This record gives sequence, C-alpha cells and structure tokens, in this order.
Amino acid sequence: MSRPAQITDIQHGRLALRSGVMIYVGVLVVLPLAALVQHGLADGLLGLWRAAATPVAVQAMVLTLWTAALMAVINAVMGTLTAWALVRYEFPGRGVLSALVDLPFAIPTLVTGVMLVILLGPQSPLGGWLAAQGMPIAFAPPAIVLALLFITMPFVVRAVEPVLLEQDPAEEEAARTLGAGTWTVFRRILLPPILPALLSGTIRSFARALGELGSVIVVSGNIPYRTLTAPIYIFGEIESGQPQTAAAVSVVLLALALVLAFAARGIERATGVHNG
Amino acid sequence: MHRSRLLLALVPLALTVAALVGGCGDTAPGAGTGAPGRTLTLGAYTTPREAYGKAIIPAFQRYWYAKTGEDVRFEESYLGSGAQARAIVGGFEADVAALSLEADMETIARAGLITRDWTAGPHQGMVTRSIVVIAVRAGNPHGIRNWDDLARPGLNVLTPNVRTSGGAMWNVCAIYGAALRGGTAAPKDDPAAAESLLGGVLRNVSIMDKGARESIVSFEKGLGDAAITYENEVLVGRQAGRTYDMVVPRSTILIENPAAVIDTYADKHGNRDLADAFVAFLTTPEAQRFFTDFGLRPVEAGVAAEMKDRFPAVTDRFSIRDLGGWPTVTQTLFATGGVYDRVMTSLQPQP
Repeated sequence: MSRPAQITDIQHGRLALRSGVMIYVGVLVVLPLAALVQHGLADGLLGLWRAAATPVAVQAMVLTLWTAALMAVINAVMGTLTAWALVRYEFPGRGVLSALVDLPFAIPTLVTGVMLVILLGPQSPLGGWLAAQGMPIAFAPPAIVLALLFITMPFVVRAVEPVLLEQDPAEEEAARTLGAGTWTVFRRILLPPILPALLSGTIRSFARALGELGSVIVVSGNIPYRTLTAPIYIFGEIESGQPQTAAAVSVVLLALALVLAFAARGIERATGVHNG
Repeated sequence: MHRSRLLLALVPLALTVAALVGGCGDTAPGAGTGAPGRTLTLGAYTTPREAYGKAIIPAFQRYWYAKTGEDVRFEESYLGSGAQARAIVGGFEADVAALSLEADMETIARAGLITRDWTAGPHQGMVTRSIVVIAVRAGNPHGIRNWDDLARPGLNVLTPNVRTSGGAMWNVCAIYGAALRGGTAAPKDDPAAAESLLGGVLRNVSIMDKGARESIVSFEKGLGDAAITYENEVLVGRQAGRTYDMVVPRSTILIENPAAVIDTYADKHGNRDLADAFVAFLTTPEAQRFFTDFGLRPVEAGVAAEMKDRFPAVTDRFSIRDLGGWPTVTQTLFATGGVYDRVMTSLQPQP
C-alpha cells in the first residue's frame, strides 16, 4: 500500500527538481538571450544583416575567429601534454602545476591583459627586444592569441585529465614492450580514448574566446580593420549609442557559440563522455 | 555535507562583498552634528572625480550646513561620460549630472528627464573648460610643434577610440577644425585637405585605448611618441611628478563640460532646491578655484583672470560651435559614412 505513495513522492520530487532547474536556467540564460535576439532583430533579418555586414564589423569578426582558432589549436596540443604530464608523472611541484592551471579562471581577465602588457609592451625589456626584431607582440594579433590562451588554459587540461586518469598505464607499457615508439603509443593507445574530451574541451575554449573582452581590450591596439576584435567592436557600438548594431553582431557571435555548444554536447553524447 | 559546508563558508564572503558594494561612493557628512539631512546623488564622468570628492563636495557640505543647518550627504558615481548618461537614462536616479560632453547631457534631456533648459544658466550650463593638447616626451625629442607633425611617417601617436570615448571626439574635432581654420599647413576651408591631415595622424595611431584616461596612462607607461589628450590630464600628470611635456598647437578646440540638475529625479527625491544650489555652487569662485587645482580651466571670469598664468594662451582657440555644434558634428564627422568613418576605411590595410 505504501509503495505507490512512495513512487508518487519520488515523482513529485523529480518534477519539482526538474521544473525548478528549468526555471533557473530559463531565467538566467534563456531570458537575457531572448531579449538580445529580439533587440538584434528589431529591424528584421535584413536590418541585422546590414548592421553585421559593415566592413569594420566583418573584419572584427574575422580577426576574432582566426585568433580564437589559432588559440584553440595551441590549447589542444599543449593542454593534452599538460594533462598527460600531470596524470602520468610524479615530479616535484606537480601539485603546484595543477593549481596553476586553474589560476587563470580566478584572475580577472582585465588583470590578465595588464600583466601581458607589463611583460610584453614595447617599454619592457622583452617586448622592446621583440619589437626591435620586427616582431611586436603587444597591441598586435599575437598578444590577442596569448591573452586568449591564458584565459582558456584550464579547458582542455581539465577535460582530458579525468579520461587519462581512467586509462590503465599498463596499456601504454604493453605497447612499448611490443616495440611501439612514443608517437605510435600516443596515436594508437592514448589519443583514441581522449579524443572526444579533447575535442569538446577545445571547442569550449574556442567558444569562450569568441566573447573575450577584458584582457583583449588591454593587449590589443583596438584599431579598426587591424586589431579590433568583435567583442570590442560591440562594446564600442554600445558606448557610442548604437545598441542595434551591437545587438546584431552579438547575435552572430551568439549563433556561433550556440552551434559550438551543441557540437561539444554532441561529441560527448556520441561517445559517452560526461566530463568537462 | 561537503557542499553545504562550502556554501556556508561562502556566506560571510557574500556578506562582505555586499557590504563593500553597498558602502562605496557614500560620503560621510562634513559638518557632523546637525540633524540627519537629505542625500544628493551625483552622477559624473571620471575626470573631475578628485576635484568633487576631495574638495568641492566637502566645501558644499560646509556651505549648505552654514546656510541651512542641514547635514547633506552625497552619493557619488563616476563613469565614462557616455556610460553615465546612459545609466541615468536607464534609471540611475542621479539628482545632478556632471558630464564631459554637451551631447551626453542632451541624451538625458531628450529622454525627458531634464525638464528645464539646462543651458539657460550664466555659462550656458558649463562648469569647466579645457583644451586639446599634445603630450610629448620630456624635451620634445621629435620636435613636435603642431598637428601636422603628428602626421609625420614613423611617429607613434596615441588617441582613444571615438566609439568608446566621447572625449576622443574632441581630439578628432581639434585636428579637423584646426585644419579647416588654417591653423595647420592644410589650406584654409578645404575639407579634403583637413580629412587628409586627419588620415595622416590616424595612420600613426597604433593603440586606441577605450578612454581618455587609459590613453594617457598608456603614454605614461612609455608607449608612443605623442598622445593627443587634454590639458588637464597633462597638468595633473605633471603635478604628480610625470616628466612629459605639453605642446599647445597653434589652433585647438575649447572643451566645455556641462553640469545640470536632473529635474525628474531631483523632484522625485524632494531634492530640487539642494540640487539647484549644488549646480549653482559649481560656478562660484570657491568651486572654480578647486577645479583649477585639478588642471581644469574655470568658466567664471574672475577666477579665469586670476589664474591666467597657470594656463598657456592659445593663438587660435575655437569651439565646437565653430564646427556647427555637436548635432552637426555628430552627423558630418562621426556618423556612418562621415569624415571619421571615411578616414578609417581609407586606412584599411590592402590585402
């Protein structure tokens, strides 16, 4: 007699939890996004297109996309290596290294930008030397890539790490015993299981980089057509009383981020990875 | 268990943050003993922050207490001029706004929050002035004398982004206007030549910071050979021991900064008399002298005469009205397809 009642209780609990979470995410994420999209589409799709297709806006988006893509590739390689070193090797300072990986999330991105300019600006010894070699980094695209690498540091490492942890080192050892070289071990033994986590971590870092403002506005020269990224362009349009244009470009970035978020989810679902 | 303990640990942190946020921008009353008085909210741009916070507000509190026995409290907010205007339009209920641009005040007026003619006062609603100048390295190693010199190939010039800094518009107006008036090597009244001079200068700009303050800070950090900035920034910087020099071009623009009562909000708070008195106080000799301590030129004639030696003379000082006023300039210079837009497009690197 008591069993059906219990089930109903559980069902009620589940229903309450589910609707509670739906409302929470709805209010925090969907509502603001809907407001933005509505604002961006105030002049219709054609208006959105006209606002987002001006040469300055297009150049800004192109710059944002290629710097984020380059960052994502470097992040994928270096993040995997870092995760591997953290999981497979015991070495002094490993705990510190692991903590350092998470540090970028705790630092205001504006501070990241300031740090990079202090380090690499033309007035610093390092920056001055690089500029003298004809390779200025600060206030040029390389600084944008560096800033993005810094702020997205944990994404790939923390996505790949748990998968590596689950993997039995014996497999690697067996492959080596059978005569496989380092590259073969990596390609045949290590890479296949971590690939989904690696991809979703990389995509997430890319999506995060698309919207970065705080650090980039400091390290980039912000010159239209040359060093002005899409988020800074959006910021400028808001500041100069053009919320329509700002919303239009934001909607384009949002659509990209949305596609990427679904792609990351899709990869995880298809392969049964639940981390990251 | 673990989670809930973490949450509990966060509670004091959250409370601290709330206390900090709630506490900032609150000025303790100057006069101390009187009955708790009203609170006046000032929404200002960032440049005169020190002048207001350290000198003018305490002076007004003393003045008001002596006059009425009321201990008036202040809440101060400082943002970029455009952002402050938008905040006020968006519902930040400031009783008084002090902004860097007439156009920003007009934004508030157009929203219906200023119901009286705020330019009707003795100085057309303006409380301070400055001029656009060129900051150069100590000893002026590049021999920069005028706007033309900034267009010399190879020079590195700083000026903020006109999209994010209302103040940066003054810089563009200064160069363009100077060229039109024959203050440079460009022939007088020749818009094409003026546009080409502006292009020459902007071609040398490698960093457009988001605000005037950030731009001069970059210059102080050692970036660039010259920075287009305001006289008050250079004067304050030099007071603080910075070693750069100031070049006053032959022809440059007069910057005027307005202050006004936001009627709707002042009435709602029952602060109309207080707000009126505060805005009127800003042009008294006492307040005007405080502004000059922070490098700003006075609007009041008496103080202006008294402080003549502090501020260098300008051969040809023109105002935004000489360029047709802000509404015209916003259209011709800064709208899409306007002078600035055309110049930036022409500087686009060719693939």
